[in-house]
Amino acid sequence: MRLKTLLCGAAAGVALMATSAAGAQSIELWTTETQSDRIATIQLLVDTFMALNPSVTVEVVAVDENDVPTQIAAAAAAGTLPNLINAGSELMVAFGEEGILDQAAATEMVDRVGRDRFFAGALNMHRNPETGEFYALPFHGWIQGIWYRGDWFDEAGLEPPNTWENIRAAAEYFHDPAENQYGILIGNMADSFAEQVFTQFAISNGGRQFDADGNLVFNSEEIREALEFYVDLAEYAPPGPQTWRARDYYIQGRMAMFFYSTFIMDDLALAEIAASSLTAENFAELAGGSFDPELVEHTRMVPIISNAQDAGYGVVVSMGIVDSDDQAETEAAQQLLSFLYEPDSYITWLHMAPGGMNPVLRDIAANDDYMADPRGIFARYGTDSIQEIIAGLEAIQTFSLVDGQLFPASGEIFARQIIPQMIFRATWEDVPVDEAVAWAEAQMLGVIGE
Amino acid sequence: MLGRRGLWGNLTLTVAVVLLLLFCLFPFVQILSTSLKYQADWGNPSLIPTQFNWDAYLELLGWGETEELAIPPSIERLLDRPGLTDAQRERILAPYRETADIFPFPRYFLNTILLAGVAALIALALAVFGAYAFSRVRFTGQAIIQRSILFVYMVGGVLLMVPLYQIAVGVGLAATPWGSVVALVLIYVIQTLPVSLYMLGNYFRTIPYSLEEAAAIDGCTRIETIFQVIIPLSIPMLVTVYIYAFIIAWNEFLFASVFLRQYDDLYTLPLGLQTLFVSKNAIWDRIMAASILTLLPVLVLFTFAMRNLTGGLAAGGVKE
Amino acid sequence: MKPQTVLERAENRFGWQLVAPSLGVIGLLILYPILYNVYLSFFDVQLVGDNVFVGLENYQRLLTDSAFYDSLTTTAIYLLGTVAGTTLLGLGAALLLNQDFPGRNVVRGLILLPYFAPVISVVFGWQFIFDPVNGVYNYMVVEVFNLTDERMNVIRDPDLGVIVVIVFDIWKHFPIAYLLILSKLQSINTDLYEAAAIDGHGPWGRFWHVTLPELYFVLGTIVILRFIWNLNKFEEVFLLAPNVQTLPIFTYYTAFTGVIDQGLAASVSVIQFVLLCGLIWFYVKKVLKW
Repeated sequence: MRLKTLLCGAAAGVALMATSAAGAQSIELWTTETQSDRIATIQLLVDTFMALNPSVTVEVVAVDENDVPTQIAAAAAAGTLPNLINAGSELMVAFGEEGILDQAAATEMVDRVGRDRFFAGALNMHRNPETGEFYALPFHGWIQGIWYRGDWFDEAGLEPPNTWENIRAAAEYFHDPAENQYGILIGNMADSFAEQVFTQFAISNGGRQFDADGNLVFNSEEIREALEFYVDLAEYAPPGPQTWRARDYYIQGRMAMFFYSTFIMDDLALAEIAASSLTAENFAELAGGSFDPELVEHTRMVPIISNAQDAGYGVVVSMGIVDSDDQAETEAAQQLLSFLYEPDSYITWLHMAPGGMNPVLRDIAANDDYMADPRGIFARYGTDSIQEIIAGLEAIQTFSLVDGQLFPASGEIFARQIIPQMIFRATWEDVPVDEAVAWAEAQMLGVIGE
Repeated sequence: MLGRRGLWGNLTLTVAVVLLLLFCLFPFVQILSTSLKYQADWGNPSLIPTQFNWDAYLELLGWGETEELAIPPSIERLLDRPGLTDAQRERILAPYRETADIFPFPRYFLNTILLAGVAALIALALAVFGAYAFSRVRFTGQAIIQRSILFVYMVGGVLLMVPLYQIAVGVGLAATPWGSVVALVLIYVIQTLPVSLYMLGNYFRTIPYSLEEAAAIDGCTRIETIFQVIIPLSIPMLVTVYIYAFIIAWNEFLFASVFLRQYDDLYTLPLGLQTLFVSKNAIWDRIMAASILTLLPVLVLFTFAMRNLTGGLAAGGVKE
Repeated sequence: MKPQTVLERAENRFGWQLVAPSLGVIGLLILYPILYNVYLSFFDVQLVGDNVFVGLENYQRLLTDSAFYDSLTTTAIYLLGTVAGTTLLGLGAALLLNQDFPGRNVVRGLILLPYFAPVISVVFGWQFIFDPVNGVYNYMVVEVFNLTDERMNVIRDPDLGVIVVIVFDIWKHFPIAYLLILSKLQSINTDLYEAAAIDGHGPWGRFWHVTLPELYFVLGTIVILRFIWNLNKFEEVFLLAPNVQTLPIFTYYTAFTGVIDQGLAASVSVIQFVLLCGLIWFYVKKVLKW
């Protein structure tokens, strides 16, 4: 992951070529979907669009999500910005603030797709607090939750891990390092996974980066408590600094709970399919023999954590239209967007990662074609849980959104990975919680001051 | 050797050799073992899988069941519209069907062979002349140049990475796929050139002058001597140096990742392997299988060239 | 300069013609980048817009940054550990495989394998060995030998990671030390040993009085070259244990993550380069004795 950053960091200053076919309107789409199977699907959508609109040529460029800010900065300097950017909403807000996005065109598109069709929460995350326009269009989203072994919880008579107390109690109960069993996976490497998990705890304690007046209030009792709790909870995690990769331990039956986005649904179901070719007897004598052939059925998820308040975390991925002097390019970009929001194209896109890419359009969420995903993953989890997840998108809270108000500076703080470094210091470098939080706030002030 | 080993001597020797081999080979055994295990079996410390799992290899090599990739219904509906002809539909679907594989081993393999092969060839060609100059020709500045090449031998990759990339960008090489390949080949050439110069220079010194003198009497120019005397006499060493340079380029990762990142059709094996690792749905068995596949060609070449290689390295590394 | 004959001049020209292509490639692709780095280190490098000249500020910031000193310490530990380990194991292996025993040639070949394996194809295997939950390392330490009660994530631990990195480097590079030492060992005249035996030296005495002095030069070379190469080492450390920050890795993080600062990174590179030149000078003067 980091190496990619390296490359493209080095690539800053590179002029990304825009190939322009003679006579045709040529536009470029940057997407953070870098996996080859997803690119293939996006390419198929774009090819279809081009077959239907012969006057437009579309180039698809995959950019790793960690590289997007540097790449955009470099492209802006070189005058080689793409026409459409498909990336997380926080980045989109930051780009909007930097004046890269055509907010009028995006707002017009929201209306063209149908303002009422969007879930209000998703739309709000894109609303410019000053003009009321939209920075970009919400496209799809995932939510984060605690995934846990429902069968183990039932057996132990434990409450679902939905409050701080319940989480800690369960983590303590299942944590048995001597037997190579662990309580919970939370992120404590200095990466964005750590930030995502911590944010949910911090917000559930009423912690925030900015108050309603836009003052930085990160160094607060709420955040310190949350970090304190987080560092404690890390005691029940598998050894050492860990990140999302450690979810494998859950699949192996070595861990009771883990934080993850809804992208896991796909993986879990596939792991189960892979394992179903083996009978349980084959593995009965295994030293690590706690593998469960009915893992999906035994897995449950809690999307909301409560302490001082309820908190749900997630990310909405958006489509931004880049500001261009060439009106024809903007129109071509809008044309492509209209096509991508058509039900069949939209469902095709979402089915790249069932559960991970959830619709932000009401009618699609209720659409039978959408619910019939090609690998039958929704059927495995049940319609209700999918609808619950989609509903969860509405309740997303992040540091950049306070009482429905958006704080664009939060996006830049996110991009600098200040919170992940704070977590790493507090968990692994024995920095006292007070100091770690004070350090983080000082860093944040530096970012805002720039 | 002096003296005979007693029983204890023999025992100590055997134990020491076994321990040494274990240390050297265990990681490879571990990789092989994990590549053949099912996920549920990872926690099992035994090196022999409970049940052999060949899926990772079959998948990477594209030898799995050749079932047609099913086209999801939403895509069928998407394409089933009046505006599209059947031919268009086929053209749209063709690439989708093809790119189902996540680690196109044959393609990466070919890319790597070509890159490493060409780079090693250029390095060898340059090194033949350079090494001949060092070992046979007297010219001003020779000592300084020889020393600076030693110096270059020691300046490593990271120091050069950013500036080299910026140069490549500056002259426009990084903007196109083939430009990036050219830049990368050049970089591999400089990485392998110093070693090749040393190994060849030492070898050339062992060729008797008298042979060259004989050629000169026959009316050969110096250049012709190189081609007609030196090169034919050095074939085994040339092969060795070539293979060594090839392996260096084959293994290189850092620069490949900088220059080829945007062009996934041109990925080399190490780069493909790293990409496989960071793609979220990759799991250990596939990574290990890909590791083994990346390792294999080096192993074959190495077995092939071992005898000469070890001698040449020893000579090349110690002095000049 | 002494006057040259026509023949000498021709020879001179011929020599230069032969080395010119190599020199051109090397000059362009190595010397220029080094100078460029020095140049960048005096600037506040902007990703977008013009660079601002800041004089020595980058160096000042670096020399007052505790993270830089931590990185220096890590680098020192890494260098000492790897150099000592590689040299000693290489020496041991060479002495061992200089003995006669059946299958010696096969063993000699097999132990070179780590050296020739692509780094990327072995790091994942090593990571798996040290995986806290599934890895065989923890299995041995905790379950078989009961050395500790709890499994540890040695490879990711900011303090212990460097040990794994050192062991990995020894594993990967002792074969080259072994190879150099072995070839020297084989060239030692057996008369020397016989003379020492006549002087009444046992095996140890022969080792101290004959083998070691003969190996002095090659051991010195290995030590210095390992120092130099490992000071540059990036891939191995970074891919294996990203929490271990030796200088090149520190440079990388400074240049490309968080608050991106390529000017500062360039100044780390320059300092690293100066250290490197010092080592090379030492090698040339003291070991090669040019």
